[in-house]
Amino acid sequence: MIASSWLLVAFPALGALILLAGGRRTDAWGHLLGCATVLASFAYGVALFFASDGKPTDTTLYSWMPVADLQVDLGLRIDALSLVFVLLITGVGSLIHIYAIGYMSDDTDRRRFFGYFNLFVTAMLILVLGDNFVSLYLGWEGVGLASYLLIGWYQWKPSAATAAKKAFIMNRVGDVGLALAIFLMWKHIGSVSYTEVFAGIGDVDSGVILAIGLLLLLGACGKSGQFPLQAWLPDAMEGPTPVSALIHAATMVTAGVYLIARANPIYNATPNAQLAVVIIGAFTLLLGAIIGCAYDDIKKVLAYSTVSQIGYMMLAVGLGPIGYALGIMHLLTHGFFKAGLFLGAGSVMHGMNDEVDMRKFGGLWRTMPITFVTFGIGYLALIGFPFSAGYFSKDAIIAAAFAQEETWRAWVFGGAAVLGAGLTAFYMTRLMLMTFFGKRRWTELKSEDGRDFHPHESPPVMTIPMMILAIGSAGAGAFFVFNGQLAEWLAPSLGALQEAEHGVVPHSAVPFIVVGISALGVLLAWLIFGRREIAVERQPVGAVVRAARSDLYGNALNEAVFARPGTWLSRALVYVDNKGVDGFVNGLAALLGGSSGRLRRLQTGFVRSYALSMLVGSFLLVGLLLMVRFA
Amino acid sequence: MPQQFLAQGEQLQVPAIDFAAVLPILIVFGAASIGVLLEAFLPKHQRWSSQIALSLTGIVGAGIALAAYISDAPEGGITTFMAQGATTGAIAVDTPALFLWGTLLALGLASLLMIGDRSLEPGGAFISQAGLQSGGLQTREQANVTGMQTEIFPLTLFALGGMMTFVAANDLLTMFIALEVLSLPLYLMAGLARRRRLLSQEAAVKYFLLGAFASAFFLYGVALLYGYAGSVKLAEIAAATAGSSASDTLLYAGIGLVVVGLLFKGSVGPFHTWTPDVYQGAPTPVTGFMAACTKVAAFGGMLRVLTVAFEPASWEWEVPLWLIAVISMAIGAIFGLTQRDLKRMIAYSSIAHAGFLVVGAMTLTEDGLSSTLFYLLAYGFTTIAVFGVISLVRDANGEATDLSSWAGLAKRSPLVAGVFTFLLLALAGIPLTSGFIGKFAVFSAALADGNAALVVIALVASAVAAFFYLRVVVLMYFSEPAAEGPAVTVPGAFTTAAITLGTAATLVLGIVPAFALNWASAGGFVP
Amino acid sequence: MTSFSQAAVVLAQQGGEDVVGTGEAIAFWVLGPLALAGGLGMIFVRNAVHSALWLVVSMLSFGVLYIVQSAPFLGFTQIIVYTGAVMMLFLFVLMMAGRDSADSMVEVLRGQRLLAALFGIGFATLLVGALARSLVNVQAQVPPDPYDPARGGGAGGLGRLVFTDFLFAFELTAALLIVAALAGIVLAYRDRREGPKRSQRDLVEARFRGEYKRRSPQPGPGVFATGNSVATPALLPDGSIAPESLSELIESTNTARLIAEQDRVLGSQAEHDDSRALLAGEDEQGSEQEGERK
Repeated sequence: MIASSWLLVAFPALGALILLAGGRRTDAWGHLLGCATVLASFAYGVALFFASDGKPTDTTLYSWMPVADLQVDLGLRIDALSLVFVLLITGVGSLIHIYAIGYMSDDTDRRRFFGYFNLFVTAMLILVLGDNFVSLYLGWEGVGLASYLLIGWYQWKPSAATAAKKAFIMNRVGDVGLALAIFLMWKHIGSVSYTEVFAGIGDVDSGVILAIGLLLLLGACGKSGQFPLQAWLPDAMEGPTPVSALIHAATMVTAGVYLIARANPIYNATPNAQLAVVIIGAFTLLLGAIIGCAYDDIKKVLAYSTVSQIGYMMLAVGLGPIGYALGIMHLLTHGFFKAGLFLGAGSVMHGMNDEVDMRKFGGLWRTMPITFVTFGIGYLALIGFPFSAGYFSKDAIIAAAFAQEETWRAWVFGGAAVLGAGLTAFYMTRLMLMTFFGKRRWTELKSEDGRDFHPHESPPVMTIPMMILAIGSAGAGAFFVFNGQLAEWLAPSLGALQEAEHGVVPHSAVPFIVVGISALGVLLAWLIFGRREIAVERQPVGAVVRAARSDLYGNALNEAVFARPGTWLSRALVYVDNKGVDGFVNGLAALLGGSSGRLRRLQTGFVRSYALSMLVGSFLLVGLLLMVRFA
Repeated sequence: MPQQFLAQGEQLQVPAIDFAAVLPILIVFGAASIGVLLEAFLPKHQRWSSQIALSLTGIVGAGIALAAYISDAPEGGITTFMAQGATTGAIAVDTPALFLWGTLLALGLASLLMIGDRSLEPGGAFISQAGLQSGGLQTREQANVTGMQTEIFPLTLFALGGMMTFVAANDLLTMFIALEVLSLPLYLMAGLARRRRLLSQEAAVKYFLLGAFASAFFLYGVALLYGYAGSVKLAEIAAATAGSSASDTLLYAGIGLVVVGLLFKGSVGPFHTWTPDVYQGAPTPVTGFMAACTKVAAFGGMLRVLTVAFEPASWEWEVPLWLIAVISMAIGAIFGLTQRDLKRMIAYSSIAHAGFLVVGAMTLTEDGLSSTLFYLLAYGFTTIAVFGVISLVRDANGEATDLSSWAGLAKRSPLVAGVFTFLLLALAGIPLTSGFIGKFAVFSAALADGNAALVVIALVASAVAAFFYLRVVVLMYFSEPAAEGPAVTVPGAFTTAAITLGTAATLVLGIVPAFALNWASAGGFVP
Repeated sequence: MTSFSQAAVVLAQQGGEDVVGTGEAIAFWVLGPLALAGGLGMIFVRNAVHSALWLVVSMLSFGVLYIVQSAPFLGFTQIIVYTGAVMMLFLFVLMMAGRDSADSMVEVLRGQRLLAALFGIGFATLLVGALARSLVNVQAQVPPDPYDPARGGGAGGLGRLVFTDFLFAFELTAALLIVAALAGIVLAYRDRREGPKRSQRDLVEARFRGEYKRRSPQPGPGVFATGNSVATPALLPDGSIAPESLSELIESTNTARLIAEQDRVLGSQAEHDDSRALLAGEDEQGSEQEGERK
């Protein structure tokens, strides 16, 4: 059973091959094949799940790269962690594949889309199933490639091309980090397989472990949209919504969390790298949440929410043995509710002529009841409504953050996590209110292509996956924590989940604090956005006008204490995000391109100038060689 | 006096020659010479077919001879053409040499198939009479004349033989003559394009002038090294370096100049300037041949010289070569970003790859050697297939190498676009292609040798370079084809075979590279 | 330059000792400057023939220096082969190509000459410095006896090396020569055969059979009648212009382009053309298209 685990990868790989090589002949049934392969993998994954006891079983397919001392085998590791991911990828993946049949039905290239989608699933499975870091790297590059191709799907939009470019550059930065970490492992441990690296990590110099830890973190930041490499993820929403749901919410962007959880023996050996992970996680979760408050684009808000939620996961896996399983649990529940939210957003867009600006929505709950209900469940799960999925997973992380040994860390990171929960509640409530409640602002408007808006419920092929995901969003958390069964299941891979015993805040008090803060966020959002009209066009002085308006409504205190500074802060962060990080990336690209353009003039086409450059080169070469002699 | 001179009754002893070992080289040169005779005696209409048959037979025969020799080659390698009383011979036949011979023969076969192709352009990619003044009426007429300058076949074989000698040469004099034997045909072949005659001739002249310039550097370096060591044999130079108290300025100046000559052939920056112009101007099959085989030969020779002769002095040349590797990678990656012509872009890509290869070549460990050898093999196959695909996309003026005309190619010909995408990914070093394995092996060997900073720079350079490959991919898949864009020609059997060979090798070496890596690491240079 | 004088000092010092005889020292100080002057002259002289002759001076000096250094075979080879054969062939070629076809000497690249001079001198300084250093503690060796092959000198010693140590390299030069010959043929050979050549008799018969438009030869242009241009038409006995004498090629070419062409040939616009040498491909395509239009 386990020995033939390569079948998991083989199904979608075969699907991708047939769909991409088959050309137009497969147009008629390509989407069905695309779904069938992922479903087959899912079925096989379920069977494996029940057959396995969660202990690592490595299957070597064959010896891939024997470079003298370096033996890299292409092998698969079936253990608790990889199986959980297999189920998430193929399970949620199947649902989103099915959804995409409906969502992409108007696209003439739907078959190719499914080909890329299958390619992505293949690469993602290789990423989580590999039994060494090079196999992981193989999947890592593969998902990056598929993501690049899918972000640029709507190629006629210049923004899509730019977004794809940005995603590519930032991911390459991360990839360089990962590659260097792998090289360091090989140099100092002499192997890249999980078993040997984890066994040998104890004998390595602590500085090297720290370097490996930080480089892996750099790789994780690139893939998972963490600070300072977060800016590509919101832009990646230029791709079709199923892509956003599967790749940029549920699976690929969580690969960084997987990487750190997988490399837990390395991080256990280097507390400083762990601290770096925690800092990055805490900072990003706040950053994402604050910026999420500022956008009117429904997918951008969800994207920053993803950035923020992955920040929670990073925070959790950075905490060490008290957090690994919690991070993975949040990853799984997030996979459910965030995929559901994106599919819901896609459903709204589908009904609204692909409009993404929330200011043009409003009152949609009546025209799209199923979407509203499923989206609402996802919303509740995300803000951590009691007993929803997010309630169990996020609260556990916040409690663990408060339970660190050093007091300052507990306060800083626990505080950041609580604050993040409040902000999450705020921006998500804002999103709900602007989209589904309030006045029907779209009745007066036309979409960009000049059509009227006729919101309608999506076909069953789209709503059924949303319903299933909604069930997951509602119940997954309770299911996972029941008897601590997820943590117990993951123990062979991640070590037993240590209970947080002490803490600056009593363990039992955490849920109340979190729910309280979240409720405050919801209330605030309702006060600002729920009780008054939302301007369809953003005015230049929008913030001030809005502030003035709410003064009239008598919310002066709220405005002064929370809203205005909040608005300013989020505006400022958006600015920094766009100008700072983006500016850096764009500047780098411009610098390279510009210097390329300028330097091109050196290539004059004249033999004598070529000969001169050779002479200069020879002079420098010989000069350097002789320098020591003449000195 | 004359009596004394003539009275020398002493017999010269012929050096010991292991014919079985050098048989592959002899077969290639033999086939080339027969090709020249065919050119002289056969009527025009029979030449193409008989030359093709002869050349293919020659290369395959050399391959068989090579395989036969490898099957029971002595452990650790031998040197042959050893004069009586000498310690080493002129030709070293060891694992790297055999590996490189195999590589060169396989790549030569693929190149020859492309050179011989007549399906893409009536009469082939070569002009039928090179002697005509370009731009004239006759040149325009003969662009439509079927038939080509069939001397190209023996010239290719001579170049191939020169390359095989170059990587096996055990003394600098043999190496220099081999360098000339491999270069001279290439200078000529670059100027034989059927279309765009001026560009082609300009390329040939540039390559010739700069090549002569570089050869002069090499030769001067050999002279200085002879002055230092009293010998041009690699082993004796190493011995002199290790145990001489003489002032070593001659040695270092000599190393520098010899290395300049080698770097030029490998198109390593800042000695790369000819590369874009020549790659662009030369007929595409010749460009493929140059890009793949010349690079293999240049770096094969460099590996041998650096390891066998200059290893004791490695402390001194490491820093300059380090800088040169960085310069080359930077030039390749940065200049490549703004290229608009596909052939020029691949030229800059080859400069960046040359930088990566220098990283491997200056790593004088076993891993460094085997990984660099593998990289050469992988890169050669990918490059040949790349140029094969480039030759397929044509419009009324011949090949359409401008990037803009490749827009939306996937809509016209998904297969060609798919193959080209795969090859570009291999050049970028994405896993499951041979490019990834090569880069991984080279970089990990360099890192293990303590060159961490260089590896970081190399990774960054390959990240930047990957960007322009993917730009082409996106252009092919996500752009609307131009209204009067080029058409994809259906290639004949020869070009199809060459592209298939290159692509299949890229795939196989990416998925199951073990056999090649094992072979490459089976042994080192014979001392 | 300091290193150069250093080298000279070293050489001069050795000249003072018994390793270098007085005659040899005199020969060196006479021939050395000559060789150097020859080299410099070759670079700086404008006329190609003069340049070649300066090179001859340089080579002759080297030849004699070799002989003085107990290498008579090398010296004579240098003089006979290089100076005698190669350089003379070179001169023949120059004469045939026309000695006026000198390149434009205008430098269009900014800084090219300055940098070239700078790095050229710098590079020379480096190498001379390296050589000078290595001469400091040189062990004087007994020169090989040119007439005793057993002791490694002269033609005999060279022959021994060629047939033992460097046998393969020697054989390899055969390939080099074949390639060179083949290259010459490929580049120079033009196939002018268009069927069997017709004799005058055949042509006359063909004319009268009607294979040509007219039975008499084409009327020549009116060159020398009123002007010396081939474009001048011939006049018929009645003073009218003979239409057949008008060159179709010239008539159909527009004047502006003709003048431009003339300018180009005369080199008056050489700078413009030169600086865009890389764009020649476009140029050529352009002219090809124009050709087709015609």
